[in-house]
Amino acid sequence: MATKFEGKVKAIPEMPPKEIEEMRNTMEFVSRKVIAENIERMKITWPNRPKTMQYFDEISNFFGQRVEEIRAQKEAGKKIIGYSCMFAPIELILAADAIPVRIDSGWYDTAKLGDTIVPVEVCPVIRSNIGTQMVNLSPYLELSDAIIIPLTCDGRTKLSEILRDDKTVWTMCPPRIKDSLQSRKLWVEEVKAVKEKIEDLTGTEITGKTLRSAIEITQRASKAFRRLQEIRKGNPVIMGRDSMLVNQTSTWDDIKRWTQKTEELCDELENRIEQKNWACSPDTPRVMVTGTPMIWPDNWKIPNLIEESSPHGVIVVDELCSGDRLLYDPVGVDEWTMSDMMDALAERYILASTCPCFTSEHGNEDRINWLLDRVTEYRVDGVIYYVIRGCILYAMEYARIKRLLDSMDVPVYYLDTEYTREDVGQMKTRVEAFLEMLETRVALREVK
Amino acid sequence: MIAAGIDIGTQSAKVAILKGGEVLSRSLALCGFNPKEAAEKAFKEALRKARLSFDNVEHITATGAGAAKATNSDSTISMVGADAQAGAYFFPSARTVIDVGAEEARAVSCDENGNMLDFVLNSRCAAGAGTFIEAMARALEVELEELGPLSLKAEKASPINASCVIFSESDVVSLIHRQEPKPEIARAIYDAMADRISSMVHRLGIKPHVVLVGGVAKDVGFVTSLKRKLHTELLIPEGPVFAGSVGAALTAGKRIG
Repeated sequence: MATKFEGKVKAIPEMPPKEIEEMRNTMEFVSRKVIAENIERMKITWPNRPKTMQYFDEISNFFGQRVEEIRAQKEAGKKIIGYSCMFAPIELILAADAIPVRIDSGWYDTAKLGDTIVPVEVCPVIRSNIGTQMVNLSPYLELSDAIIIPLTCDGRTKLSEILRDDKTVWTMCPPRIKDSLQSRKLWVEEVKAVKEKIEDLTGTEITGKTLRSAIEITQRASKAFRRLQEIRKGNPVIMGRDSMLVNQTSTWDDIKRWTQKTEELCDELENRIEQKNWACSPDTPRVMVTGTPMIWPDNWKIPNLIEESSPHGVIVVDELCSGDRLLYDPVGVDEWTMSDMMDALAERYILASTCPCFTSEHGNEDRINWLLDRVTEYRVDGVIYYVIRGCILYAMEYARIKRLLDSMDVPVYYLDTEYTREDVGQMKTRVEAFLEMLETRVALREVK
Repeated sequence: MIAAGIDIGTQSAKVAILKGGEVLSRSLALCGFNPKEAAEKAFKEALRKARLSFDNVEHITATGAGAAKATNSDSTISMVGADAQAGAYFFPSARTVIDVGAEEARAVSCDENGNMLDFVLNSRCAAGAGTFIEAMARALEVELEELGPLSLKAEKASPINASCVIFSESDVVSLIHRQEPKPEIARAIYDAMADRISSMVHRLGIKPHVVLVGGVAKDVGFVTSLKRKLHTELLIPEGPVFAGSVGAALTAGKRIG
């Protein structure tokens, strides 16, 4: 018997390969169906959906063209670096000529599988990631040569240990207070350390020139990203789910191509604004969603309900790390020297973040201000505050945010759910009641 | 102007028929395995009581968990929306309406016109609703109607866990084994349930006057416990179980013209 651990015992017990294969096949089958179904539902809601969306539909397929592309590049010698959580500086991965892919899991079935390893109280995103690793459901996770896990919450901290069973995992330790000198020092060191790891794995030195070019690539992506979010401020010319899908595909697509396609989509949308070709009636209640990330493909439950229920709403803005937060902030470089670029990179991932893992003298001020600004700028009629079981950080920030929104006379509804399809009926009751209330308010406002 | 409201709940279907804002008739039928049939039965009965035929009804609005089963309805309204309408109709001073049904509890704040301003629903667990009382009455081996009056005889309260019906039942069994007097166990059951409902209502904020509706509003044991927890008076209309159907009928009335 072992008397010392020394990292030898895995958290996930060995399973017969045949059993894994069978589970994987079933889950992949279900997942392909869910992906196709979700896209179909988006098309039904928005019959006049622009053709440019087809590109994003294709990229959203976890078992399609994009995976084959990455697989071919891997075979040609490129390294794939996965990351969980948007604190991972993708510019460093791009600068080393490797491919960044986000591996946070939105699959419901694998969350159930994760229950056999960790208790159900654990956040379902984490449980789903564990299950995904167990049956190799995610091609991106499978293809990753290494995974960066920023330890932004308790779930991710322990997930890093479990994924180490079979994967090379690099953790990054973000500070919980972002604006102090010691926090800044810690985070800059973390970014430097991960840079060295990327260089070691890829055998490519990240130079001033390659880093600058990578930063410029994501700056251009940010520009396209912001353009899309800007368009959503006006009358609804794109449905919320469609923009959420565009936003999310940026985390596994070729970022240059994604930028180009997003600009094309924006061109078309701007044309439609001139033609007053709205995606839905301009009187449709304008909804903001905030809280736990909503990850494609299975965890599309709530956006589907909001935009399909009767009465229905349109999601005009979100505050999700799987959505409008993704590429919103460009890296702000003053001087293109290596040390300035590294500082700017570190700052972009910490200072610009509105993650509830942070606190300050005035609570999580940045997130709260971000929310309040968006509520005004996007003329939000109501906020859905979405929390999945076990997500303590978002759950605990609700009390204050609710009171603030109350004082602004903006209705907010706290929706707590799980990685499950079984509660759709209960969720629907809640979402419909909330939208009915918003609809009445919109009607009363127009009368006034 | 004849308007009807159908409320298909998890346990029973309720129908109310209104003429120019006056309730003409009400009827209730147990859902059993066929909520659609129950709704039709209640509808026919309500029409009969009002001496009307189906053709006289200008608009039907359905509500409740089974609203979709009311195939003859013209429109739907959410359960909280119907509660707000009914609350303000029964008591114009109502600003908070609490509805405790068989499997769900909800609270809504409203204005004088019955417009819903905010709402909360219980966290998808029957421990805050009527079926909980039924399960506990069974555990105590008393008739459902007796449990309330029994609880009023309690001299003290024994706290139990009400996070889940199953846990509560095992807590009640331990109290029985400890030979606690039945009235005290009965009160513990109502207190636990009132605790859950009261924390839900607190999340919404309690604005007087507070109206209590739903089938459970008839249970004197629950009403007493909830008053104690909320430190407020509760206005209870006659026939609280029909609130949802009356709210739906009021909505139907507004939708006619």
